[in-house]
Amino acid sequence: MQEPSGTFRRLHPLTFVHYIFLAIVGFVFAWFASSDTGNMQRNSLIFAIIYVTIMGPYAIAKYIRFRYSVTCDELVIHYGVFKRVRRNIPSERIQTVAVERTLLARFLGTAVVKIETAGTASAEGVLSHVGVREAERIRTLLRTGQKAFEAEEDLQDSPYFFMPLPRVLLSSTYQFSLGLFAILLGGFFQLESLGLVTSTGTINWLVEHNFFSAAVKESWLWLMLSFTLIMLVLGWLFGFIQNLIRYYNFRIELRPEKIYRKFGLLTIREGTLPYKRVQSFLIRSNPLMRLHRWFRLEMQTLGLESGERGFQPAMPFAKWSEINSLASQIRSFTLPESYHPVSRLTIRRHAIRYSLLIAMSSVILSVFWSSSALWGICLVPVSWLVAWLQYRHHRWAFHDNHLLIHRRILSQQFWIVPVDRFQAFEITATFFQRRLGLCTLIVDTAGAGGLRYPRIMDLKRTEADQLLSTLYSSFIDQPG
Amino acid sequence: MEELDPTVKKVWTIKGILGWSILLPVSAATDVILFFSSHQTFPPGTWTGLLFVLCLLWVLFIPKLRYRVWRYDLRDKDLYAVRGIWNRVQTTVPFRRIQHLDVAQDLIEGNYNLARLVVHTAGTRSTDVVVPGLQYEEAVRLRDTVREFIAQSMD
Repeated sequence: MQEPSGTFRRLHPLTFVHYIFLAIVGFVFAWFASSDTGNMQRNSLIFAIIYVTIMGPYAIAKYIRFRYSVTCDELVIHYGVFKRVRRNIPSERIQTVAVERTLLARFLGTAVVKIETAGTASAEGVLSHVGVREAERIRTLLRTGQKAFEAEEDLQDSPYFFMPLPRVLLSSTYQFSLGLFAILLGGFFQLESLGLVTSTGTINWLVEHNFFSAAVKESWLWLMLSFTLIMLVLGWLFGFIQNLIRYYNFRIELRPEKIYRKFGLLTIREGTLPYKRVQSFLIRSNPLMRLHRWFRLEMQTLGLESGERGFQPAMPFAKWSEINSLASQIRSFTLPESYHPVSRLTIRRHAIRYSLLIAMSSVILSVFWSSSALWGICLVPVSWLVAWLQYRHHRWAFHDNHLLIHRRILSQQFWIVPVDRFQAFEITATFFQRRLGLCTLIVDTAGAGGLRYPRIMDLKRTEADQLLSTLYSSFIDQPG
Repeated sequence: MEELDPTVKKVWTIKGILGWSILLPVSAATDVILFFSSHQTFPPGTWTGLLFVLCLLWVLFIPKLRYRVWRYDLRDKDLYAVRGIWNRVQTTVPFRRIQHLDVAQDLIEGNYNLARLVVHTAGTRSTDVVVPGLQYEEAVRLRDTVREFIAQSMD
């Protein structure tokens, strides 16, 4: 194969600083992860020394072997120590060129360039790390080679959509995350293994030294309630911080046939999303956001960005009019006046499923933990309520060549899927669905996440066949 | 609607036995440990026996049931496939969404002159639609038919 005219370059020399930083973090973690017994800590140290002895030279070899060359036509990467690979990525196949700058990278003046194509589940080429100017040069060169290239413009003074700090703070107040629970529990068990805390002592301390101490002494129910309240507050706090860090200074600008986005506090992400790569829209909201009429717009795109599970945030916190305005710029569509419900039999199917789940969990807990867990069976009627709410919030419509689906109770989803973006059609029916004459209609689109995809659950079989026929006819009528 | 070649039941049976056999060393080792253990909660041979029964049930029923459900049809503009014992799945893949086609064959299939037609799309759930249990020549014929259609539609 003919070599490209561009010269091969190595990554930024400060890449080693990143490697060393990560190695130190790993070493400290391994050291503290071992218990305080002498043998374990000595083994950890031996392991760390062996790791550094092997991985150190390997990291150097990896750095030396990694070379890249960028021309207007393609990006060529040579890499691999034991298995040597040469990868050519033609400019025309590149979907997005994203530049990311973490806090450490900003301190060192470097950036990570991620090149995504449609064919892979993760970035196909990652240049970590290069200088900031080099990152810009790479991006400009690769875009020059694309047919739809338009000269890059400087940041516009008045972006199409911008989230100033007050709005980011406001959006953060609506967020909730359970991630903190896992971190807190993990940290607690780590401290316990070091002998710094004990479970019994901590629980006793929590019971005696919190604002609910007086109430807690009254009943175990108060203890449970106060614990839940504390967890909710911590969950909200974690959600707040996470949202603030992720969407700080979020801005989008509309450029010819694409959107430019830049956002982030610690890690700054910037890149463009061409309109033609957008496969579907997903509008999400939680109960609090809906109460104040705030929504979040995500776009499912070709070229999966693993961090967002195939969905790119287009407007993390916006009013319906703002979302409608942006979505209409990308695709022309109108919303229907009414939506169709799914079959009412879905209530029975889901209620039975949830009831069985509650009953089985209660029985298992009563056998292995405490007989009082059998009280959990009292929650069975709640399963009917949940199933009814699910039915109430599951609606669909096929309108203006777009399939629209409303789903879920708390974290509601509203899918807008253009008919010309369908990849395949599926009707699935489990044994129980078949007995009730129900089925699930799924339309497959490119770039959908493994768990989040547009589907209409528990349609009547005849209705599903009819809808599939309509969707398919519309799809066939579409050009291309 | 086309049925698969009945020989595929033999292929699935062999693959099923091989699959279950992977668990055999684990169950045998558990039974040996149980045999020498002072606390014999289960009689020796329980786990290997259980594995054997499960394998037998699987081999007796699953390939036949799976074969009975599997149907496919190469229609004017799409490939249609029905499969699944518990969860019945009907997939329609329009030809114009097909990225590429493969005819795949492993050692066991090769022994019976069977092959699989693998249809790749850019989608996520139905990225690979696999039609198994085709006579090799039939799989090649299907692939060429679809390929011709795609080539015509590209012109």
